[in-house]
Amino acid sequence: MVKKPHELGGFAVSSRGPRAPVVEKPKTAEELARVLHQAAASGSAVVPVGGGRSSRMGGTPLRCDVELHTTHLDRVLEHSQADMVVSVEAGITLEALQEELGKAGQFLPLDPFNSPGHTIGGLLATGWSGPLRQRFGSARDYLIGIRVAMPDGHLASAGGRVVKNVSGYDLMKLHYGAMGSLGVIVAASFKVFPRPLHDVTLAISTGSMGEAWTAAEQALSMPLAPTALELFSDGHLLVRFGGSPDAVKRMVAELGWKQADASAWAEHSRTGLESWARIAVPRHALREILGTLPEKARWWASPGIGIAHWDFDNSSDAVVGVRHAAEKAHGTLVLMSAPTEVSKKIGAWGTPPETIGVMRRLKKAFDPEGTLNPGRFVV
Amino acid sequence: MALPIAVVEELRRIVGSESVIDSANDLRIFERDASIEGALPDAVVLPTTTEQVAEVIKVAAKHHIPVVPRGAGTGLSGGAVTIRGGIALQVTRMRRILEIDPVAQTAMVEPGVVNQELSLVASSLGLFYAPDPSSQKACTIGGNAAENSGGPHCLYYGVTTNHVLGMEVVLADGSVHWVSGDTPDRVGLDLCGVLVGSEGTMCAITKIKVRLLRTPPSVATLLAAFPTIETASHAVSAVIAAGIVPAALEMMDRVTVNAVEAHYHAGYPTDAGAVLLAEVDGIPESTRELMAAVREVLAANQGYAMREAQTPAERDLLWQGRKGAIGALGRIRPNYYLHDGVVPRSRLPQVLSAVGEIGEHYKLPVANVFHAGDGNLHPNIMFDLREPGIMHQVEGAGEEMLRAVVELGGALSGEHGIGLEKSAFMPWIFSPEDLEAMERVKRVFDVDGILNPGKIFPDPSRKQIQLAGRTGLAIEAKWW
Repeated sequence: MVKKPHELGGFAVSSRGPRAPVVEKPKTAEELARVLHQAAASGSAVVPVGGGRSSRMGGTPLRCDVELHTTHLDRVLEHSQADMVVSVEAGITLEALQEELGKAGQFLPLDPFNSPGHTIGGLLATGWSGPLRQRFGSARDYLIGIRVAMPDGHLASAGGRVVKNVSGYDLMKLHYGAMGSLGVIVAASFKVFPRPLHDVTLAISTGSMGEAWTAAEQALSMPLAPTALELFSDGHLLVRFGGSPDAVKRMVAELGWKQADASAWAEHSRTGLESWARIAVPRHALREILGTLPEKARWWASPGIGIAHWDFDNSSDAVVGVRHAAEKAHGTLVLMSAPTEVSKKIGAWGTPPETIGVMRRLKKAFDPEGTLNPGRFVV
Repeated sequence: MALPIAVVEELRRIVGSESVIDSANDLRIFERDASIEGALPDAVVLPTTTEQVAEVIKVAAKHHIPVVPRGAGTGLSGGAVTIRGGIALQVTRMRRILEIDPVAQTAMVEPGVVNQELSLVASSLGLFYAPDPSSQKACTIGGNAAENSGGPHCLYYGVTTNHVLGMEVVLADGSVHWVSGDTPDRVGLDLCGVLVGSEGTMCAITKIKVRLLRTPPSVATLLAAFPTIETASHAVSAVIAAGIVPAALEMMDRVTVNAVEAHYHAGYPTDAGAVLLAEVDGIPESTRELMAAVREVLAANQGYAMREAQTPAERDLLWQGRKGAIGALGRIRPNYYLHDGVVPRSRLPQVLSAVGEIGEHYKLPVANVFHAGDGNLHPNIMFDLREPGIMHQVEGAGEEMLRAVVELGGALSGEHGIGLEKSAFMPWIFSPEDLEAMERVKRVFDVDGILNPGKIFPDPSRKQIQLAGRTGLAIEAKWW
């Protein structure tokens, strides 16, 4: 089992830039928008910072004059328990939000790695997800409203606080995973979920990777689909079933794996490494791609989703090879964190998509001066 | 205004002369969708390939002619209406299911494939396509993707955007691109996510890759009667608050139930103030347990005369009543006007009582049949178009109902789209800055504004909103 918790919290992006940036920690969205606008107007480069848990993702910013922290924007704006909708400021941590929701027996099904300490804004900007994506999708699926500060100083909202909404363009999708390249997320609304009536974690250790993949497929094809399934490079598997008690009990009996403590998931989510990459491919191609990793490589995968994370140990040549294989399968290999020399050498993102021209025009429309995160994303 | 002969000739060269319609009589068929307002296109083009779509759009771009992609024309917001004339790009001849991959559980379809047809074909593989608009017997997957359509089962399964994995699109310059695909977490901006639901204003869709789901082995469908629409609304909130998210949770009021019963004889209780149709699915153990829990909550909230479908035929009949409800309402008045505002679920009792009052004030019969679990209303204002001056009343009532929705913290549309008929209301929920950000995106995709012009954004040249000011509620403070 891959376990190498590495504290990246508090990592300052500025240490990668040539000179010390100004640190701004605005207390309101309006103030944040003003700071951003002033920076843009004076030609400064701005790097938005949330919890710093994903601050190594992407290319090294070419410049960083202002670090714009959302730390003080950490309020729950509204939690309507009956509607199962929550609106929060972007700087709230995932843990603080879960605590609020937990009081009502609700939760946000988001369990990113390198936890705890992620902010909601950071998670939306990076698009990180975790094992629960198997059942609930990613935040892209349950993000229902967003408010963003733009370099022109405006605050623009899209969506709303109802669970179903086609009023206007879905700009939530545009900012989700955009690495803060178009604006700084200052608030978001989510559809939240009731805690499953029954929630069971099972584990099994297999003798070979062949057996492990068979076990994964077996778990995925159970009549009640698992809420999460993780496969580790040592042949270990963790699976989770949630739902009505009788249904879950039947799955436990039929699968025959041993019951494990639910804390295994929290422990798993603490996994964060110095050098790790995310491989995302069509789900059926995942096994083959992981077969191209160096022998004894340490990784963990969500076989039902098509995502794996790899502790690549700074071997950039191997990364290039695997990226090539992933891209050939119409997938991607993205660096989650890597030493600067590695990310400079091989690039954080890989081959740009065919639609990069349209993406650049969008970037230009929202951030004409290139104020936000220059050099960090593909646009 | 007819297109220049040379342009029509160009279009004929691209798709063949039998696939261009420009005679005044034939164009009438394409004048409207399922909403109220219509406008004639100058020509209708029926392409069969992506290349033809791209060539048509290139011609339109060259001559600055509006292009409006159109599927089955079942839309309820005027999205497919050629309000500024131009070319209706009718994609219903692009209707092949190109591939169903049972292992990856995906399907690749052309935009003209009918929603229900995909589920029917996939069913032999034990799979189905989840978004199920009530018009699913006719509406197309292309139209669904353009509008980000919903349906009763979206309560649990999510709307179209949650099921579209990728699309082949033609942009306003005629260039063809793939956006997203069956890989999770692609690199770059999520163009697919922005284009789904863009109502034909930023691209024409030529292929769609969708996710299919495993058909649940067990389904339980329950009909429950309630003394009033308010008690039924409270019951809906209570079900969700109990931590149960049913596959579907639909409500019909007395007016609807009576019309449906007269038409379908589905066994709906005609004495009830409202009925709920609740469905849970999964494996037998979970449907049994969840249905028992649903029954308990409904009973505790004044639900009575509960009846569970015992056979697939009974279930179909119950759903036929729900999905055919709007047609059945034709027994009361020949025409209808339908908004689909969404409120936070807990506001259903308030908004429904406002809807009732507004109907009474305008002396118009209103029937409610809607996705209660999502808070997605469908107040159906019924009228007879032959009655002079009636449209003014109908639109006035519709406007006030939407206003009530917005005042309760809701949104203008849950699944039908903004289109033509709700564009003027956009400033109720979005600030000028919000709208300007959306317009920036529009300009990136369509700088000359040839794709479905006059939709979504308020058009100052159209009639301005005049509210009678009947609803006394103040718009709630923005939540941020």
